[in-house]
Amino acid sequence: MLHLLKIDLKKLTNYRTFWVVCGLYFITLAFVTASGMEFLKLLARMIEGFGQEININRIPLYHFPDVWLNLIWFCGCFKVVLAIMVVISVTNEFSYRTLRQNIIDGLSRSQFLWSKILTNVLLSLMSVAMIFVIGLVTGLIYSPSILYSNIFTDTEFFIAYFLEVFFFLSYALMISVLIQRSGLTIILLLLSQMIEWIITANIDDQLPWIEHFFPMKSIWYLIEFPYQRYAFQEIKDYIDIKLFLIASAWTLIFNYISYLKLKKSDI
Amino acid sequence: METVLSIRNLTKDFGRLRAVNNLNLEVKPGQVFGMLGPNGSGKTTTLGMLMGVTNPSAGEFLWFGEKPTHQLRKKIGAVLEHPIFYPYLSGQLNLELNAMIKECPPENIPKVLDLVELTERKDDKYKTYSLGMKQRLAIASALLNDPTVLILDEPTNGLDPMGIAEIRDIIKKIAANGKTIILASHLLDEVQKVCTHFAVLKKGTMVHTGPVDDVGKGAETVEVFADVANLNEILLAFKGTSGINRDNGLFHVSLRDGFRSQDLNKFLFEKGVAASHIVTKKKSLEKQFLEILAEADPKL
Repeated sequence: MLHLLKIDLKKLTNYRTFWVVCGLYFITLAFVTASGMEFLKLLARMIEGFGQEININRIPLYHFPDVWLNLIWFCGCFKVVLAIMVVISVTNEFSYRTLRQNIIDGLSRSQFLWSKILTNVLLSLMSVAMIFVIGLVTGLIYSPSILYSNIFTDTEFFIAYFLEVFFFLSYALMISVLIQRSGLTIILLLLSQMIEWIITANIDDQLPWIEHFFPMKSIWYLIEFPYQRYAFQEIKDYIDIKLFLIASAWTLIFNYISYLKLKKSDI
Repeated sequence: METVLSIRNLTKDFGRLRAVNNLNLEVKPGQVFGMLGPNGSGKTTTLGMLMGVTNPSAGEFLWFGEKPTHQLRKKIGAVLEHPIFYPYLSGQLNLELNAMIKECPPENIPKVLDLVELTERKDDKYKTYSLGMKQRLAIASALLNDPTVLILDEPTNGLDPMGIAEIRDIIKKIAANGKTIILASHLLDEVQKVCTHFAVLKKGTMVHTGPVDDVGKGAETVEVFADVANLNEILLAFKGTSGINRDNGLFHVSLRDGFRSQDLNKFLFEKGVAASHIVTKKKSLEKQFLEILAEADPKL
């Protein structure tokens, strides 16, 4: 297993595009998430009355335990950057035909897929670690009082966040294997959430229960938009096991489809 | 280890097209086996199936008497079609990656780079290499794991004459070490120069197989010239002559079975004619190849 991961990392770590994309992803994450309070201050300066009506320093954006869910939801929007990196890495193997040579050189088809899946796991874990560090630092800075019990409340959302990123990277891997061309794959990747939105919006009236079973929707509802709690609304601060299972099942299905496609096709 | 490779009834269909049809073949250790055939005759498809990248439609093959697995492929060095590497990696890094895939020690890398004379350029990116260097790197990569079998598909494709000679030397060097080599090519001259056995494919069907040495057997042709006015009549008078062609001022005499060029020479000498030019022409593989292809009419 570790051997397969090393093989894929050898391909990636000597690839400049990988460093550029991953660098942009992690730097953007760090800057954007750490500057939430500055953003609120900017809003207060620009919009008349914003600062008077709500005291921005009272909004506990970065207070434990709010900080976890706030950051996790927000960072979920950036996963598409990592997914594009996965698309580039996988479609390259097809366009350079190096997948073919890898098989000839003695990798089995499932080993090749495993090397890509393991990289996805690693990228997902790194995203989790990144947010944990940012959350910890900003939380320690902004929280007025630091309670040990508060710090570790809501951390189960990290499991959901890991699933969210890994789910999406698995999806990117699957459509790369199916389409094999980078441009087309990236377009489909960007549009897929919207396409699913249109489908679910149309069948919503007849079959309201079915919406949760759609892949992107299951993730969408797994980690819900948290900022409305500052407008005095209830938010879901627990992980819905049913949604978690649906999203996990989709992740498995995506990777299994990649496996079937690789197994059956002439490379 | 009696046979390196045995293929039984191997067949591949691409939709309605039958690319490889019921192929049966045996390759023994130490052979340099040439696979000949015009473009599109199924050579690369066959090799693709042997190396696990193309799924056979029917039939089977055994490497070293065993069912093919990815572990077995690590013991076979193969270059199919073009050299394939990661363009953004240097030659050295590409080989390191291949060493990881083949699970062989990276200490072999300098050795194979030396053999193909790429040591000086090993740290340059692969995409900066010339075609000849790419081909040489591919051979280096195939040799990385010290394989007992080497598969080369058109290894001199697109090379200049010097490059062709270099690759040919490398192949001969490898063959001299007792390795089994399977060489697909449409360059007949190349096969004749390096191979011990050959098979001819036409539209996916094998139409001939046998040792290369057998090619020259059969009737001989002798090229003769002498500064005599009635050379044609004299040659016709020789009882071993079955036919004469004039080409470029030389007489090409086809001999009947049982007659050799020295018989003709002796005959001329007895007639008081001293030939200024007399050369025995073996039938070339090219000639035989074209004959085989013309005769064969594979029923699909």
